[in-house]
Amino acid sequence: MLAKTLSALLLSTFLFTAALAAEPAKTAGPSAAVSTPSAPVSSPAMAAPAAPTAGPVTAAPAPAPTKVKPNRAITITMFMAIIAVTLGVVIWAAKRTTSAADFYAAGGGITGLQNGWAIAGDYMSAASFLGMSGLISLYGIDGFMYAVGPMFSFIAILLVVAEPCRNAGKFTLGDILSFRAAPKTVRGVAALSTVTVSLFYLIAQMVGAGKLMQVLLDIPYRVSVIGVGVLMVGYVVFGGMKATTWVQIIKAGLLMTGTVLLAFLVMAKAGMNPIGFFNDIVNSQLVQDHVRMNVLKDVVAKPGFDYGQRFMEPGLFLKNPLDQISLGIAWALGAAGLPHILMRFFTVPSAKEARKSIVVALFINSSFFFLINLIGFGAALYLTPQLISSVDKGGNMATLLLAQKLGGGAGSFGGDVFLAFICAVAFATILAVVSGLVLAASAAIAHDVYVNIIMGGNADQQTQVRVARVTSLFVGIAAIIMGLAAEKENVVALVALAFAVAASGNFPAVMLSLFWKRFNTAGVVGALVVGTVSALSLVMISPVMTYPQKIADDAKKVITTLEKKQAEGAVLVEKDLKALDKARADFQKNDGGTSMVGLKAPIFPLKNPAIVSLPLGLLAAILGTLLFRDRRAEEMFDEIEVRQITGLGISKASDH
Amino acid sequence: MATKYDWSAIARNSKYLELKRKKRVFLFGWWFASSVYYFLLPILSGYFPDLFKIKIIGVVNFGYLFILSQFVVAFFVAIIYTRVANNEFDRLTDELVREIG
Repeated sequence: MLAKTLSALLLSTFLFTAALAAEPAKTAGPSAAVSTPSAPVSSPAMAAPAAPTAGPVTAAPAPAPTKVKPNRAITITMFMAIIAVTLGVVIWAAKRTTSAADFYAAGGGITGLQNGWAIAGDYMSAASFLGMSGLISLYGIDGFMYAVGPMFSFIAILLVVAEPCRNAGKFTLGDILSFRAAPKTVRGVAALSTVTVSLFYLIAQMVGAGKLMQVLLDIPYRVSVIGVGVLMVGYVVFGGMKATTWVQIIKAGLLMTGTVLLAFLVMAKAGMNPIGFFNDIVNSQLVQDHVRMNVLKDVVAKPGFDYGQRFMEPGLFLKNPLDQISLGIAWALGAAGLPHILMRFFTVPSAKEARKSIVVALFINSSFFFLINLIGFGAALYLTPQLISSVDKGGNMATLLLAQKLGGGAGSFGGDVFLAFICAVAFATILAVVSGLVLAASAAIAHDVYVNIIMGGNADQQTQVRVARVTSLFVGIAAIIMGLAAEKENVVALVALAFAVAASGNFPAVMLSLFWKRFNTAGVVGALVVGTVSALSLVMISPVMTYPQKIADDAKKVITTLEKKQAEGAVLVEKDLKALDKARADFQKNDGGTSMVGLKAPIFPLKNPAIVSLPLGLLAAILGTLLFRDRRAEEMFDEIEVRQITGLGISKASDH
Repeated sequence: MATKYDWSAIARNSKYLELKRKKRVFLFGWWFASSVYYFLLPILSGYFPDLFKIKIIGVVNFGYLFILSQFVVAFFVAIIYTRVANNEFDRLTDELVREIG
């Protein structure tokens, strides 16, 4: 009954969306420009998991800017197909979700193979699919280097996190951390940390989703955020973990199909000869011009310099090695501390299945990132960086454009269908990722805060499920509201933050809980609080924030150059005049302005705080533990250690 | 849970200690080794970019192959771990559980 009402509700929302979509949205003029003069907007820190930030090219007043124009009828049909299938899954899952274990952990009834696909589905975001190939197509090998972090992050999960957590935990991060510490305090802090991390990540995804749907369907930002939000809430509230898992599996399947197909077409076009393929890229005149003029800004070519080969060499995009190491830490350890990933281990019945699921996820994920490299380089060769950056400065449309081209070109049936399919894949990807996040945040509130802190662990199954559903509804609504409010914000910082907090707070707390005898309440609280606060404050004063003064200074430079040109008697072309107007407006608006915390320029030089905040979190954990010794925690270490190593007394997600 | 275990007795069991030692050496050893290899990427590309520029096969240079090798290493670690865990750790765990009964 419930399910039917829900599906009717969701369908009507989307029909409404589609109806609105029929009327092309008025894309606001330069005022909506997400891209500041300090463009490539998607450049900062974590372009990878961040959803595409640069919207359609608003900053470039090039004559007749190219746009991705998916065929509306085909695209909407495919979107509706995905919505129909996933709603079917929700209705099926809703009937089978009766206990807390069903809601949070799908009753422990997911197999290792299924969970592997779901983890991969949880982890591969639209930004990796669209953003990373774009980075490669514009900056060559540096974009590919970006892919190694998310791929490698599964190693720590596989070796030291997945199985011990499955053996020692139940539903949430709080379950693991509160095992031998003061349960209420630790659960409270863990829930706070989980909600923070998940919401940061969620807002970034919502904003990215809004912008992407805006471009693909030509609908207003508001409508796309609300549409995605309503679906996400529907999946989680009614279907819980079971529906979320299957949405993620479906998404991972679609995403891999799209990726394999695209990569295959690229290689087919290159005659299945990878060496020749790279040779063609290096020898491409347009790639060489792009590297020389757009990236290195050499107006006059340096004699004898091989600009094509430069595309295959590092340093075009990633400039600060220390920042790369810091980012590397966030990847290697942060993913293992992400609550929505941790939660996935509890859906399988045993540690052996948890192991299998991570190995499966690692293989899918690595193959995905490897194929993305072929797609990215293929886009550089077959579309040219010039075309890609003219559509979107950050390159986020590269995958979509390539699909259109390899499907038969714009306007052809094949091109339309393939483009629509890839758009639908991106859509499914967004839905799956946001659903997992909503579930993790609401589990922390409902299971840790309500059931275990407020009710002292005494709540019957029905109440638990009801509370979990109501919480998910509110988390979802909060995410929609924040997504709407953050339209013009620089959300890349939020993703960097989520990973940094997970690496600096959650990761040391989980590891020490499992492996250090003396570790206790003070240590857990120390790690979570100091890790979170230091990561948060470092990001606030780092270069990823928006600094109006810098925008104003850049605008000033443009104004000076162009005015000088004018003064010399040159007649400015229309493009330059527009740029001048925009620069003047930018200067007016931003001069004297300060960042969110009142700074004119960043104090902390790195975009990624992990290299500093992880040691701080770890130090706080150790100091807290040693200062406030707790005999009980030490005595209980035998239990948690035996449990995590052997799986004895494992909490079957189904029993209670 | 029906069964109550005497956790500290198990923690002193010689089979358990053997399992614990083996797991620890293997897991942390491989984690450390693979992390070293992983961090070589930002370190080498950032501080020794010339190394990455050496052409190996046609235009494909050391950097590209080094990135590819990261994927191979990850696969390798996953396969090795699966084998050891399936054959050795699971067997030792089963024996231990049977002994405790």
